[in-house]
Amino acid sequence: MEKRNARLTYSLIVIVSLLTVAPVIMLIIGSFSNSLHSFGNFTLKKYVAVYTDPMLIDILGNTAAFVLGSALFATVLAIFLAYLNNRTDIPFKFLFKVVSVMPMMIPHVLFGVSWALLLNPTNGILNMLLMRLFTLSKAPFNIYTIPGMIVVEGLLDLPVAYLIISPAMGSFDATLEESSRVFKAGPLKTFFRITLPVLRPAIMASFILCIVRALASFAVPSVLGMPGRIYVLSTFIYRVVSMSLIADYGKAAAIGMSILVISISLIYVYRYYTRASDKFVTVSSRGFKPTVVELRKGRIPLFIIVLFISALLILLPVLVLFYTSLIPYVMEPGIKAFKAMSWDNWRIVIKDPISVRSLKNSLFLGVVGATVGSFLSVLVAYVIVKAKTKAAGFLESISFLSFSFPGIVIGIGFMWYFVRTPLYGTIWALFFGYIATYLPYGIRPMTSAFIQIHGSLEESSLVCGASFATTLRRIVLPLLVPGMVSAWILLATMFFRELSISVVLSRPGTETLAVQILRFSEDGQWGKLSALGLIMIFVSTAMVLVVNALGAYFKPGEVREKKSVWTKGEAKLKAAV
Amino acid sequence: MEINVRGLKKYYQSEGKVIKALDDVDLTIEANKIFTLLGPSGCGKTTLLRCIVGLETPDEGEIQIGETIVWSKEKEIYVPPEKRQLGMVFQTYAIWPHMNVFNNVAYPLQNMKLPKEEIAVRVAKTLKFVQLEGFENRPSTRLSGGQQQRVALARALVAEPKVILFDEPLSNLDAKLREETRKELRQFLTELEITAVYVTHDRVEALALSDMIGVMNKGKIIELGTPRKIYFDADHQFVADFIGRSNLIPAKLLRQEKQHTIVDTPIGEIACHKRTFEKDDELVLCLRPEFINTEKPSDEHTNRVKGIIQHITFVGEVYEADVQIGEETVLVKLDPETTLVVGDELTLSMKPDHCLLVSR
Repeated sequence: MEKRNARLTYSLIVIVSLLTVAPVIMLIIGSFSNSLHSFGNFTLKKYVAVYTDPMLIDILGNTAAFVLGSALFATVLAIFLAYLNNRTDIPFKFLFKVVSVMPMMIPHVLFGVSWALLLNPTNGILNMLLMRLFTLSKAPFNIYTIPGMIVVEGLLDLPVAYLIISPAMGSFDATLEESSRVFKAGPLKTFFRITLPVLRPAIMASFILCIVRALASFAVPSVLGMPGRIYVLSTFIYRVVSMSLIADYGKAAAIGMSILVISISLIYVYRYYTRASDKFVTVSSRGFKPTVVELRKGRIPLFIIVLFISALLILLPVLVLFYTSLIPYVMEPGIKAFKAMSWDNWRIVIKDPISVRSLKNSLFLGVVGATVGSFLSVLVAYVIVKAKTKAAGFLESISFLSFSFPGIVIGIGFMWYFVRTPLYGTIWALFFGYIATYLPYGIRPMTSAFIQIHGSLEESSLVCGASFATTLRRIVLPLLVPGMVSAWILLATMFFRELSISVVLSRPGTETLAVQILRFSEDGQWGKLSALGLIMIFVSTAMVLVVNALGAYFKPGEVREKKSVWTKGEAKLKAAV
Repeated sequence: MEINVRGLKKYYQSEGKVIKALDDVDLTIEANKIFTLLGPSGCGKTTLLRCIVGLETPDEGEIQIGETIVWSKEKEIYVPPEKRQLGMVFQTYAIWPHMNVFNNVAYPLQNMKLPKEEIAVRVAKTLKFVQLEGFENRPSTRLSGGQQQRVALARALVAEPKVILFDEPLSNLDAKLREETRKELRQFLTELEITAVYVTHDRVEALALSDMIGVMNKGKIIELGTPRKIYFDADHQFVADFIGRSNLIPAKLLRQEKQHTIVDTPIGEIACHKRTFEKDDELVLCLRPEFINTEKPSDEHTNRVKGIIQHITFVGEVYEADVQIGEETVLVKLDPETTLVVGDELTLSMKPDHCLLVSR
């Protein structure tokens, strides 16, 4: 048994190292190399080029503003929503679930595009409407600005912030606040002096994770930033490798190194705060309910605000995309638009060979990639949980390495790596890149599934006369099914709409959906983009539903706590965070 | 079936130190008796149980259940747990959450590949025995702690094993339920012809349940005996101290009389339960608070000492008083209706039979 575990541990270490450690090493060597073809000939030229680039100051300023702004926006909004949901008598609390599962439904690149369609300065639908309504000579809003990017990225990171803050808020020991009230502090003072400080670890964790995500974000900066010539570090890399005449992967690697260093240090701080949050004991085993604050007159207005935010997150993007997919060119809604409506864009898209190929590629990567990825996750999680050796601890740290990797940076690392293998330019480059980068999201739900299977559940099966194989079949696997379904769905949805690695690694023939949508957006082909985007949302939702149903079918017999699709989605994201 | 354990050793490495979980254990557990392994946490009792059931492999020695040797280092025998045909109740109960009550209980029979009708009959019978009739279709996640405990017991009994093992099965129940379950368990086990090995750190549980108790410490079985023997007449200071509250007072052997052993202690000369010692043995006098009386002694041999109350606390059933006798402070239980207060002098009497001498 122990020998078998040791063999498994070492083979997994080799596999995972090839996936996660190798690209980092290649990135480091690459940043000191001249070009893809003179790999390893040490030079500092690229670093010098990057850090003396006159654009760099602007880019760093933009990045700082974008990253800090969106993280702050997401966190404050999350505190507001979490407080309303957990501590007040606001009606229709299920709306808050919408907020938390939204990112599983709509890919970031589409979310960004839908805002561009609404608020771009030349023909943004909302801008045109407002101009006519108030007879303005100039568009009132311009989404192609840093504030515009901050709002959109903030909304995209809101679910992550919410999923960290809301549980902390929900398990808050209300007697802490009550005693503050007894000692003569008003409700507002109590909120700022007691509630927020006690929740500080959760709030800091959420803020930092949002920073890391914004730093890695490519969709919003590329869709909303580049049209206004506002570059951040991630789009700077993109520019260096795909928008100049000669792609300079050495320079890209040199930029990537600095992002990677910042990102890894931030994740380190994040771990510190999530550890510290265990010390702030806000969760107690007593089955108490936090006291509910009565909103009275504020109840309905606050509810309308929440409704508005939920609509912004889900309804609006889908509606805008649907509308745009039906009209030949962007025009404001009205009789003229209605008359011009047709399915032409849809027809063109489903006949467009590149779009169809990108759909096939993404479907393959989603289904096969998620299957292989979950299988690898099961094995890694098994070793992490069950074999408590030093080697297992090492495996855990290299598996979670990629948690802090910005996709585009690691994409550059993979570029240096795969160009030296036959994988270069094939769909398998994307395949392995995805699995490496998103491995932590597969392992998380699996480790929690394994932890739930207490050792005595297996042992009692053995004592009851069941063989090892029977125990595996009747006890272990059935208990793992929910975890496997979560891992699979999480990986499949992430692979299906992956953008930032694909944008570096995909080549003619290996286009993916998100890359194709980015191309349409760069060319301003909004109608086709919208049709393809909706197909993407539709297919990925269908995929999630089918697998959920399959999981429920294979989960043997008896009922467990029945969970709605919403709570399942929420649990999945929680596992991922 | 009788269980024989010979020369069993199991060592662990922890932070560079070797921990002897089982240090050369020899033990015979009589057939059809309830045998309890009692000891503080970390004494090796659970390791011993897990070695018997086969979930852990010892380093040295031999284990025999009935006529079968199930593990032997020398003879290179290892019978895996699924072939040992034992029943076991786990501390966590280990009820499978994805199965209902019926499937949990039927599991051992299903593994024996019995026909479905027979399984149904035997499960029903066993559930009736543990008073869970009609619970067959209940999802196991919808059971209370006590019900889970019964399902675990039913599962352990359903295949009618000759040996059943319990790993602290009552420790997850609340105090009141624990007491009730303990009584029931005793009743269940007496009704069956079965050898039960029971692991616990709770002395009341051990005394109330067992036919025999083995007290363990640091990987060794210190003492074997019936509950009365362990309680009244322990040979070792550790056992006397572990099995109940004791005043431990250093003592020096003075002389042996016909019926008693006389010792000199800081509280005076005390006549004790007769026991032979070597001359230089360092002795300890164990006085249980419940056997120190304030009433008039009934016979001439009774020891009598005078003391002053230093401290007195009402704890419900009794008053607990610290009584100073010479240099020594002795814990005494006083009648709940006592009118004594701090500073009062009182005379304490102790029957020699309850004055237990052990060597250090």
